[in-house]
Amino acid sequence: MTTGDPTTTVDQFDAGTRQALANLLLAMADDEFVLGFWDSEWTGIAPLLEEDVAFASLAQDEIGHAQALYQLLAELEGGDPDEIAFGRPPEAYRHARLLDHPRTDWAFSVARRFLYDTADAARLDALAASAYAPLAGVVAKMRREETYHLLHMHAWLERLATGGEEPRARLVAALERLWPDALCVLDGIDGDDLLVEAGVLAEPLAEVRGRWLAGLAPELARLGLPAPPAGPGPAGPCRGPDHGDDFRWLWEQFTMVRRSDPEAVW
Amino acid sequence: MGGQPMQVYEVFRREREGGPMQHAGNLLAPDMELACHYAREFYGRRQESVRLWIVPRAAIRDLDDPDLLQPPFDRSFKKPVGYSTEIKAKLATARSRAGQEGESR
Repeated sequence: MTTGDPTTTVDQFDAGTRQALANLLLAMADDEFVLGFWDSEWTGIAPLLEEDVAFASLAQDEIGHAQALYQLLAELEGGDPDEIAFGRPPEAYRHARLLDHPRTDWAFSVARRFLYDTADAARLDALAASAYAPLAGVVAKMRREETYHLLHMHAWLERLATGGEEPRARLVAALERLWPDALCVLDGIDGDDLLVEAGVLAEPLAEVRGRWLAGLAPELARLGLPAPPAGPGPAGPCRGPDHGDDFRWLWEQFTMVRRSDPEAVW
Repeated sequence: MGGQPMQVYEVFRREREGGPMQHAGNLLAPDMELACHYAREFYGRRQESVRLWIVPRAAIRDLDDPDLLQPPFDRSFKKPVGYSTEIKAKLATARSRAGQEGESR
Protein backbone atom coordinates (compact mmCIF):
# COMPACT_ATOMS: atom_id res chain seq x y z
CA MET A 1 0.00 0.00 0.00
CA THR A 2 1.19 3.48 -0.77
CA THR A 3 1.26 6.26 1.76
CA GLY A 4 -0.42 9.55 0.97
CA ASP A 5 1.15 12.93 1.58
CA PRO A 6 -0.55 14.11 4.78
CA THR A 7 -0.15 17.77 3.83
CA THR A 8 -2.59 17.40 0.96
CA THR A 9 -5.57 19.73 1.35
CA VAL A 10 -8.91 19.43 -0.30
CA ASP A 11 -8.20 22.51 -2.47
CA GLN A 12 -5.55 20.50 -4.28
CA PHE A 13 -8.15 17.95 -5.46
CA ASP A 14 -9.77 18.38 -8.84
CA ALA A 15 -13.56 18.29 -9.09
CA GLY A 16 -13.65 14.57 -9.92
CA THR A 17 -11.46 13.58 -6.98
CA ARG A 18 -13.47 15.78 -4.66
CA GLN A 19 -16.69 14.13 -5.82
CA ALA A 20 -15.14 10.68 -5.35
CA LEU A 21 -14.11 11.63 -1.80
CA ALA A 22 -17.67 12.77 -1.08
CA ASN A 23 -18.98 9.46 -2.50
CA LEU A 24 -16.61 7.51 -0.25
CA LEU A 25 -17.51 9.47 2.89
CA LEU A 26 -21.25 9.17 2.25
CA ALA A 27 -21.04 5.43 1.54
CA MET A 28 -18.97 4.75 4.67
CA ALA A 29 -21.15 6.97 6.87
CA ASP A 30 -24.37 5.38 5.60
CA ASP A 31 -22.92 1.87 6.09
CA GLU A 32 -22.11 2.60 9.74
CA PHE A 33 -25.36 4.48 10.33
CA VAL A 34 -27.69 1.82 8.94
CA LEU A 35 -25.83 -1.08 10.57
CA GLY A 36 -25.99 0.78 13.88
CA PHE A 37 -29.76 1.15 13.59
CA TRP A 38 -30.37 -2.46 12.54
CA ASP A 39 -28.28 -3.86 15.38
CA SER A 40 -29.90 -1.55 17.92
CA GLU A 41 -33.08 -3.52 17.16
CA TRP A 42 -31.65 -6.24 19.44
CA THR A 43 -31.81 -3.98 22.50
CA GLY A 44 -33.87 -5.77 25.13
CA ILE A 45 -34.15 -9.06 23.23
CA ALA A 46 -30.57 -10.30 22.73
CA PRO A 47 -29.86 -13.92 23.78
CA LEU A 48 -28.52 -12.91 27.21
CA LEU A 49 -28.49 -9.72 29.24
CA GLU A 50 -24.71 -9.32 28.98
CA GLU A 51 -24.82 -9.67 25.19
CA ASP A 52 -27.71 -7.23 25.07
CA VAL A 53 -25.48 -4.58 26.62
CA ALA A 54 -22.52 -5.53 24.40
CA PHE A 55 -24.44 -5.55 21.11
CA ALA A 56 -26.20 -2.26 21.91
CA SER A 57 -22.81 -0.76 22.74
CA LEU A 58 -21.39 -1.93 19.40
CA ALA A 59 -24.39 -0.44 17.62
CA GLN A 60 -23.86 2.87 19.42
CA ASP A 61 -20.20 2.85 18.36
CA GLU A 62 -21.27 2.60 14.71
CA ILE A 63 -23.63 5.55 15.07
CA GLY A 64 -20.70 7.46 16.58
CA HIS A 65 -18.51 6.56 13.59
CA ALA A 66 -21.29 7.64 11.25
CA GLN A 67 -21.53 10.97 13.07
CA ALA A 68 -17.80 11.61 12.61
CA LEU A 69 -17.99 10.71 8.90
CA TYR A 70 -21.11 12.84 8.25
CA GLN A 71 -19.23 15.68 9.94
CA LEU A 72 -16.31 15.23 7.51
CA LEU A 73 -18.73 15.23 4.60
CA ALA A 74 -20.40 18.41 5.88
CA GLU A 75 -16.99 20.09 6.17
CA LEU A 76 -16.17 19.04 2.61
CA GLU A 77 -19.47 19.80 0.92
CA GLY A 78 -21.14 22.23 3.29
CA GLY A 79 -24.39 21.46 5.06
CA ASP A 80 -25.43 20.10 8.41
CA PRO A 81 -24.40 16.55 9.53
CA ASP A 82 -27.80 15.88 11.14
CA GLU A 83 -29.57 16.99 7.99
CA ILE A 84 -27.40 14.63 5.91
CA ALA A 85 -28.02 11.78 8.36
CA PHE A 86 -31.77 12.17 8.83
CA GLY A 87 -33.01 14.54 6.14
CA ARG A 88 -32.78 12.39 3.01
CA PRO A 89 -35.42 10.17 1.41
CA PRO A 90 -34.65 6.40 1.57
CA GLU A 91 -33.48 6.23 -2.05
CA ALA A 92 -30.73 8.82 -1.36
CA TYR A 93 -28.92 6.56 1.12
CA ARG A 94 -25.75 4.94 -0.23
CA HIS A 95 -25.18 2.06 2.20
CA ALA A 96 -24.23 -1.33 0.77
CA ARG A 97 -27.09 -3.72 0.11
CA LEU A 98 -25.71 -6.02 2.84
CA LEU A 99 -27.45 -3.51 5.12
CA ASP A 100 -30.80 -3.76 3.34
CA HIS A 101 -31.71 -6.97 5.20
CA PRO A 102 -33.70 -6.82 8.44
CA ARG A 103 -32.37 -8.02 11.80
CA THR A 104 -33.82 -11.55 11.20
CA ASP A 105 -32.41 -14.05 13.78
CA TRP A 106 -29.33 -13.88 15.99
CA ALA A 107 -27.15 -15.97 13.69
CA PHE A 108 -28.11 -13.69 10.79
CA SER A 109 -27.20 -10.53 12.70
CA VAL A 110 -23.91 -12.08 13.83
CA ALA A 111 -23.09 -13.25 10.28
CA ARG A 112 -23.86 -9.82 8.83
CA ARG A 113 -21.85 -7.97 11.46
CA PHE A 114 -18.94 -10.39 11.04
CA LEU A 115 -18.90 -9.85 7.26
CA TYR A 116 -19.33 -6.10 7.61
CA ASP A 117 -16.75 -5.58 10.35
CA THR A 118 -14.07 -7.61 8.59
CA ALA A 119 -14.72 -5.83 5.25
CA ASP A 120 -14.75 -2.46 6.98
CA ALA A 121 -11.45 -3.29 8.70
CA ALA A 122 -9.86 -3.90 5.28
CA ARG A 123 -11.30 -0.58 4.07
CA LEU A 124 -9.98 1.27 7.13
CA ASP A 125 -6.54 -0.30 6.57
CA ALA A 126 -6.53 1.26 3.11
CA LEU A 127 -7.39 4.68 4.59
CA ALA A 128 -5.08 4.70 7.62
CA ALA A 129 -2.34 6.58 5.74
CA SER A 130 -4.76 8.73 3.75
CA ALA A 131 -3.47 11.95 2.23
CA TYR A 132 -6.72 13.54 3.35
CA ALA A 133 -5.65 14.21 6.94
CA PRO A 134 -9.13 14.76 8.46
CA LEU A 135 -10.16 11.31 7.21
CA ALA A 136 -6.92 9.67 8.41
CA GLY A 137 -7.62 11.13 11.86
CA VAL A 138 -11.16 9.75 12.06
CA VAL A 139 -10.02 6.39 10.68
CA ALA A 140 -7.31 6.09 13.36
CA LYS A 141 -9.97 6.46 16.06
CA MET A 142 -12.38 4.08 14.32
CA ARG A 143 -9.73 1.39 14.02
CA ARG A 144 -9.09 1.44 17.77
CA GLU A 145 -12.76 0.77 18.48
CA GLU A 146 -13.05 -1.78 15.70
CA THR A 147 -10.33 -3.89 17.36
CA TYR A 148 -12.87 -4.88 20.00
CA HIS A 149 -15.72 -5.25 17.49
CA LEU A 150 -13.61 -7.72 15.52
CA LEU A 151 -12.67 -9.72 18.63
CA HIS A 152 -16.30 -9.93 19.62
CA MET A 153 -17.56 -11.00 16.20
CA HIS A 154 -14.81 -13.60 15.75
CA ALA A 155 -15.79 -14.99 19.17
CA TRP A 156 -19.46 -15.28 18.17
CA LEU A 157 -18.73 -16.73 14.72
CA GLU A 158 -16.65 -19.45 16.36
CA ARG A 159 -19.35 -20.21 18.95
CA LEU A 160 -22.21 -20.43 16.47
CA ALA A 161 -20.11 -22.51 14.06
CA THR A 162 -19.13 -25.02 16.75
CA GLY A 163 -22.08 -24.69 19.11
CA GLY A 164 -24.27 -27.55 17.94
CA GLU A 165 -26.55 -28.37 15.06
CA GLU A 166 -29.10 -25.56 15.12
CA PRO A 167 -26.78 -22.55 15.64
CA ARG A 168 -24.46 -23.88 12.95
CA ALA A 169 -27.29 -24.49 10.46
CA ARG A 170 -28.63 -20.98 11.01
CA LEU A 171 -25.17 -19.45 10.65
CA VAL A 172 -24.44 -21.33 7.43
CA ALA A 173 -27.82 -20.31 5.97
CA ALA A 174 -27.19 -16.68 6.89
CA LEU A 175 -23.72 -16.63 5.35
CA GLU A 176 -24.97 -18.22 2.14
CA ARG A 177 -27.72 -15.62 1.90
CA LEU A 178 -25.47 -12.67 2.76
CA TRP A 179 -22.25 -13.38 0.85
CA PRO A 180 -23.28 -11.87 -2.52
CA ASP A 181 -24.40 -8.68 -0.77
CA ALA A 182 -21.37 -8.54 1.54
CA LEU A 183 -19.10 -8.07 -1.49
CA CYS A 184 -20.88 -4.73 -2.02
CA VAL A 185 -19.32 -3.21 1.11
CA LEU A 186 -16.13 -2.89 -0.94
CA ASP A 187 -17.78 -1.81 -4.16
CA GLY A 188 -20.18 0.73 -5.61
CA ILE A 189 -18.16 3.86 -4.86
CA ASP A 190 -17.54 5.79 -8.07
CA GLY A 191 -14.08 7.25 -8.55
CA ASP A 192 -12.04 5.05 -6.23
CA ASP A 193 -9.28 5.05 -8.88
CA LEU A 194 -9.08 8.86 -8.57
CA LEU A 195 -8.80 8.52 -4.80
CA VAL A 196 -5.89 6.11 -5.22
CA GLU A 197 -4.20 8.55 -7.58
CA ALA A 198 -4.62 11.38 -5.04
CA GLY A 199 -3.27 9.25 -2.18
CA VAL A 200 -6.59 9.30 -0.29
CA LEU A 201 -7.04 5.54 -0.64
CA ALA A 202 -4.08 3.14 -0.70
CA GLU A 203 -5.47 0.78 -3.34
CA PRO A 204 -8.58 0.38 -5.51
CA LEU A 205 -11.62 -1.14 -3.74
CA ALA A 206 -11.40 -4.31 -5.84
CA GLU A 207 -7.95 -4.92 -4.37
CA VAL A 208 -9.15 -4.11 -0.86
CA ARG A 209 -11.90 -6.68 -1.43
CA GLY A 210 -9.35 -9.27 -2.56
CA ARG A 211 -7.23 -8.66 0.55
CA TRP A 212 -10.31 -8.95 2.80
CA LEU A 213 -11.40 -12.27 1.25
CA ALA A 214 -7.87 -13.70 1.31
CA GLY A 215 -7.62 -12.81 4.99
CA LEU A 216 -10.92 -14.53 5.83
CA ALA A 217 -10.29 -17.71 3.85
CA PRO A 218 -8.26 -19.64 6.51
CA GLU A 219 -10.81 -18.98 9.27
CA LEU A 220 -13.78 -19.95 7.08
CA ALA A 221 -11.97 -23.10 5.98
CA ARG A 222 -11.07 -24.03 9.57
CA LEU A 223 -14.69 -23.67 10.67
CA GLY A 224 -16.04 -25.28 7.48
CA LEU A 225 -18.19 -22.23 6.69
CA PRO A 226 -19.36 -21.08 3.24
CA ALA A 227 -16.76 -19.28 1.13
CA PRO A 228 -17.63 -16.19 -0.92
CA PRO A 229 -19.11 -16.72 -4.39
CA ALA A 230 -16.49 -17.01 -7.13
CA GLY A 231 -16.30 -14.29 -9.74
CA PRO A 232 -14.87 -10.84 -10.27
CA GLY A 233 -17.22 -9.03 -7.90
CA PRO A 234 -20.82 -8.38 -6.93
CA ALA A 235 -23.56 -8.47 -9.55
CA GLY A 236 -26.21 -5.77 -9.73
CA PRO A 237 -26.37 -2.36 -8.07
CA CYS A 238 -24.52 -2.27 -4.72
CA ARG A 239 -25.67 0.94 -3.06
CA GLY A 240 -29.24 1.70 -4.00
CA PRO A 241 -31.13 3.74 -5.01
CA ASP A 242 -33.72 0.98 -4.43
CA HIS A 243 -33.06 -0.40 -0.93
CA GLY A 244 -36.32 -2.37 -0.62
CA ASP A 245 -39.17 -2.43 1.89
CA ASP A 246 -37.16 -3.54 4.93
CA PHE A 247 -34.89 -0.52 4.72
CA ARG A 248 -37.87 1.73 4.10
CA TRP A 249 -39.37 0.45 7.37
CA LEU A 250 -36.09 1.12 9.22
CA TRP A 251 -35.83 4.57 7.64
CA GLU A 252 -39.32 5.38 8.87
CA GLN A 253 -38.27 4.30 12.36
CA PHE A 254 -35.06 6.28 12.56
CA THR A 255 -36.41 9.45 10.94
CA MET A 256 -39.76 9.39 12.79
CA VAL A 257 -38.89 11.84 15.54
CA ARG A 258 -37.13 14.29 13.26
CA ARG A 259 -39.94 14.22 10.69
CA SER A 260 -42.43 15.06 13.42
CA ASP A 261 -40.74 18.47 13.81
CA PRO A 262 -37.76 19.07 11.50
CA GLU A 263 -37.19 22.56 12.91
CA ALA A 264 -36.95 21.45 16.54
CA VAL A 265 -33.82 22.47 18.43
CA TRP A 266 -32.28 19.76 20.63
CA MET B 1 -23.30 -22.01 23.22
CA GLY B 2 -22.96 -25.77 22.84
CA GLY B 3 -24.84 -26.31 26.09
CA GLN B 4 -22.03 -24.69 28.09
CA PRO B 5 -23.40 -23.66 31.47
CA MET B 6 -23.22 -19.98 32.29
CA GLN B 7 -20.74 -19.05 35.00
CA VAL B 8 -20.49 -16.07 37.30
CA TYR B 9 -17.37 -13.92 36.93
CA GLU B 10 -16.33 -11.31 39.47
CA VAL B 11 -14.79 -8.17 38.02
CA PHE B 12 -12.26 -5.85 39.65
CA ARG B 13 -11.26 -2.52 38.19
CA ARG B 14 -8.55 0.10 38.54
CA GLU B 15 -9.87 3.59 38.00
CA ARG B 16 -6.53 5.31 37.41
CA GLU B 17 -2.84 4.39 37.25
CA GLY B 18 -1.46 3.75 40.71
CA GLY B 19 -4.90 3.20 42.24
CA PRO B 20 -6.05 -0.02 43.92
CA MET B 21 -7.95 -2.81 42.19
CA GLN B 22 -11.47 -2.61 43.59
CA HIS B 23 -14.44 -4.90 43.24
CA ALA B 24 -16.68 -3.57 40.47
CA GLY B 25 -19.42 -6.21 40.31
CA ASN B 26 -20.14 -9.45 38.52
CA LEU B 27 -21.61 -10.87 35.36
CA LEU B 28 -22.70 -14.10 33.68
CA ALA B 29 -20.85 -15.53 30.70
CA PRO B 30 -20.40 -18.94 29.07
CA ASP B 31 -16.60 -18.70 29.05
CA MET B 32 -13.64 -16.49 29.93
CA GLU B 33 -13.35 -14.88 26.48
CA LEU B 34 -16.90 -13.54 26.46
CA ALA B 35 -16.58 -12.72 30.18
CA CYS B 36 -13.70 -10.39 29.25
CA HIS B 37 -15.81 -8.76 26.52
CA TYR B 38 -18.74 -8.27 28.88
CA ALA B 39 -16.50 -6.96 31.66
CA ARG B 40 -15.22 -4.38 29.20
CA GLU B 41 -18.82 -3.41 28.36
CA PHE B 42 -20.01 -3.26 31.96
CA TYR B 43 -17.01 -1.67 33.65
CA GLY B 44 -14.88 -0.12 30.92
CA ARG B 45 -16.85 1.21 27.98
CA ARG B 46 -17.21 4.69 29.45
CA GLN B 47 -13.43 5.01 29.92
CA GLU B 48 -13.91 4.55 33.67
CA SER B 49 -11.16 1.92 34.04
CA VAL B 50 -7.51 1.52 33.05
CA ARG B 51 -7.33 -2.16 34.06
CA LEU B 52 -9.77 -4.98 34.77
CA TRP B 53 -9.34 -8.34 36.51
CA ILE B 54 -11.89 -10.98 35.58
CA VAL B 55 -12.08 -13.94 37.96
CA PRO B 56 -14.39 -16.96 37.81
CA ARG B 57 -16.33 -16.94 41.07
CA ALA B 58 -15.54 -20.67 41.30
CA ALA B 59 -11.84 -19.73 41.72
CA ILE B 60 -12.63 -17.70 44.83
CA ARG B 61 -12.21 -19.41 48.22
CA ASP B 62 -15.11 -18.28 50.40
CA LEU B 63 -14.30 -17.94 54.09
CA ASP B 64 -16.96 -16.94 56.60
CA ASP B 65 -16.28 -19.18 59.64
CA PRO B 66 -17.08 -17.08 62.77
CA ASP B 67 -14.54 -19.09 64.81
CA LEU B 68 -11.86 -17.73 62.50
CA LEU B 69 -13.27 -14.30 61.80
CA GLN B 70 -15.24 -13.34 64.94
CA PRO B 71 -13.38 -14.74 68.01
CA PRO B 72 -15.44 -14.59 71.23
CA PHE B 73 -12.99 -12.81 73.61
CA ASP B 74 -12.27 -9.10 73.65
CA ARG B 75 -9.57 -8.57 71.05
CA SER B 76 -9.81 -4.80 70.86
CA PHE B 77 -6.10 -4.55 71.73
CA LYS B 78 -5.41 -6.15 68.35
CA LYS B 79 -7.13 -3.26 66.60
CA PRO B 80 -4.85 -0.37 65.83
CA VAL B 81 -7.90 1.82 65.55
CA GLY B 82 -8.91 0.85 69.12
CA TYR B 83 -5.46 1.78 70.39
CA SER B 84 -5.41 5.12 68.63
CA THR B 85 -8.97 5.91 69.79
CA GLU B 86 -7.89 5.31 73.38
CA ILE B 87 -4.80 7.49 72.97
CA LYS B 88 -6.92 10.27 71.49
CA ALA B 89 -9.37 10.07 74.39
CA LYS B 90 -6.54 10.27 76.95
CA LEU B 91 -4.98 13.16 75.07
CA ALA B 92 -8.30 15.01 74.99
CA THR B 93 -8.77 14.52 78.73
CA ALA B 94 -5.24 15.73 79.45
CA ARG B 95 -5.71 18.76 77.23
CA SER B 96 -8.99 19.72 78.80
CA ARG B 97 -7.44 19.33 82.26
CA ALA B 98 -4.48 21.49 81.25
CA GLY B 99 -6.85 24.09 79.80
CA GLN B 100 -8.91 24.21 82.97
CA GLU B 101 -5.75 24.52 85.07
CA GLY B 102 -4.59 27.35 82.85
CA GLU B 103 -7.85 29.21 83.38
CA SER B 104 -7.77 28.69 87.14
CA ARG B 105 -4.39 30.42 87.49
